[in-house]
Amino acid sequence: MEYLNIYANCQLVKGANMSLLCDLQMRRFYHLPNDTAEVLLFLQQYSIDECIAHYGEDNREAITGYVDFFVSRELGFIDDRILPELTAMELTWDRFADITNVVIEYQETIDYSGPFFRELLDQHLEGLEIRFYQPVALPELRELLALFSDSTLRHIKLVLHYEKSLNKATLDELVKKHQRVKSLLLHSSPEEKLEKIFSNSVPVYHFTGEINSCMACGEIRANHFTVNTELFTESLRFNSCLNRKLSIDQQGYIKNCPSMRENYGHVADTSLQAVLDNKTFSRYNHIRKDDIAVCKDCEFRHVCTDCRAYIENPQDIYSKPLKCGYNPYTNNWEEWAQHPMKQAAIGWYGMAEIIK
Amino acid sequence: MSKKILILSQSYLESTTDQVCQWMDYLKIPYRRLNGEDFFRFQQLSDLPDNTETAVVWYRRKIAHFPAEFSLKQPDINSQYTLKRFLVDEFNGLHSFLFHSIDAQKWLNDPLSEKNLNKLQVLQLARRLNIHTPFTEVVTTKAKIMALLEQYPALIVKPLSECILLEDTERRAYKMLTSTIDQKSLSAVPETFFPSLVQERIVKKFEIRTFYLDGACYSMAIFSQNNRKTTDDFRNYDNHRPNRTVPYKLPAELEHKLDQLMKILRFRTGSIDLMVDMQGNYHFLEINPEGQFGMVSHPCNYYLEKKFARLLHQSVLHEKEIHQQPENKENAAPATVFSEAE
Ligand code: SF4
Ligand code: SF4
Repeated sequence: MEYLNIYANCQLVKGANMSLLCDLQMRRFYHLPNDTAEVLLFLQQYSIDECIAHYGEDNREAITGYVDFFVSRELGFIDDRILPELTAMELTWDRFADITNVVIEYQETIDYSGPFFRELLDQHLEGLEIRFYQPVALPELRELLALFSDSTLRHIKLVLHYEKSLNKATLDELVKKHQRVKSLLLHSSPEEKLEKIFSNSVPVYHFTGEINSCMACGEIRANHFTVNTELFTESLRFNSCLNRKLSIDQQGYIKNCPSMRENYGHVADTSLQAVLDNKTFSRYNHIRKDDIAVCKDCEFRHVCTDCRAYIENPQDIYSKPLKCGYNPYTNNWEEWAQHPMKQAAIGWYGMAEIIK
Repeated sequence: MSKKILILSQSYLESTTDQVCQWMDYLKIPYRRLNGEDFFRFQQLSDLPDNTETAVVWYRRKIAHFPAEFSLKQPDINSQYTLKRFLVDEFNGLHSFLFHSIDAQKWLNDPLSEKNLNKLQVLQLARRLNIHTPFTEVVTTKAKIMALLEQYPALIVKPLSECILLEDTERRAYKMLTSTIDQKSLSAVPETFFPSLVQERIVKKFEIRTFYLDGACYSMAIFSQNNRKTTDDFRNYDNHRPNRTVPYKLPAELEHKLDQLMKILRFRTGSIDLMVDMQGNYHFLEINPEGQFGMVSHPCNYYLEKKFARLLHQSVLHEKEIHQQPENKENAAPATVFSEAE
């Protein structure tokens, strides 16, 4: 008897019509019809022959075809039994910090070395995104980056306004000096392109559009999907954008995300501990994809990130991200900005100007 | 002064120590991390951590590079090497003083047992505990190899000590790996040679790396079979088709024997290498007491760094004889996606 053993880090997520087999180790996903997913689940308990007997001889070719596919992609292997020792992966998520991700909307008048920021850097931060809506002088940028040199912060993403002076050589030098900078996005650039600097290890995305306010954030696109254990497990239990995130907007106000209205004080006179102790600060942490309308039926829900600032129904915090054009019931992608159902929310957020 | 957790490590290229320390910061567990590099800032012997202030010691690493330079009037390769060796010995003379000045039972792993660990002895101990090991011999002649090849279709040669890294004049690094001898490759074997460890070659279904943490086994299966390049030793990484690494649960009986083995060696932590052959039999290979557990923890989502921080904490509490639960920041797993789909 032959059995298909599927590796524990290949996780199946079922949607309304389609399923996603997420290879968390190789960081790839496979989009499958739900019928195929059913067969795969059946094969978790029964032999290949039993599976063929169950679905009927007519389906022999299809079933052996699926098995060959899974084996050829190294998603599993054939053995004479299902190996019980190959246990399920524990899908827990945890981090050694109350804040893991920070977004800063840069403003030259704010002092980023004050007590609030020192307290923030004592957290073992995972990622920091610094957004520059206006052009910034290089010495100023260097000075800012130097503030993080002695911290345990792991990576920095820079969103910069394109300028001629930000050429490959300059950026290369900058990244060499500040090795936490792991990716750059240059908006208002003359062309769309992807460059790689620092021995091909750091991507620089050139984007022709202008990012001049927080309203540009929150787009859900298939090419933003990320397949890995961290996001998968976090999204099972927590919000995949706002969990343990903290932002400082252009005016220096502390928020969950720059696009949110409510703030938890100003960096000049608030302590991080006070923000963490404020129960409302963590109100979005536990909104999972499984709780959100439409997303809960979407096969991409654990490789997709969320957005709670811009949602289809601003009155319902559990409604779907506004800037997603995917329909898991038809499996079609549409332009979200054109969608008739979304126009009310677009008007509500005052976004019409920006997206036209 | 309250007694402390002491962590001996190095100041960089040590993400395992970094992560355990970050967990301890988060869980508000006090500790002292002493990197080998710090010894160069000490003024006197009394600056070393002493026995009374120390409750538990985790010895992870010694040092990355000496922050010391030397020059020779007449550069000469041999003396260069001898001098380097001399500095290593000098440093060890100081560092290993801690093995004696701090009580042996405070170390997670007995430091002298760890330092003197012998591969042949470990295999012998394992066999005594009825843990199956591959046939192992130390040989010096081709004749003996030929005789063994009558019994075993293939043998592997591996160092009795540790694999080393060699560098050529262009600074390209060569890593020593396990290699196979069979009838075909026999012609390359000289008549007599330096005493070498040979083992029967196991045709493996997969390998297992177990991280042993205070009585519990956290195992990972490593599938490299599809990968010709890594058939002998999974450390010979193939970046294009990485090995599949997944959680694994050893049979309880084997876990129990491994626990006994670690206890005899007085190790509370360490990594254990095993192999599973095509018939599903387990073969014990070796123990690395200083084991790097990140490579098991992350792929299997075991959070060993956090468990390790907890273990150190418990050891201090035990030492103080306070039995209170540490703050609980655990996030339990929800149901798996698989069960949800049913
Ligand atoms: S909630 Fe939306 S707008 Fe805010 S950071 Fe997340 S994706 Fe961006
Ligand atoms: S429906 Fe929800 S989960 Fe699916 S792609 Fe859109 S935002 Fe992501």
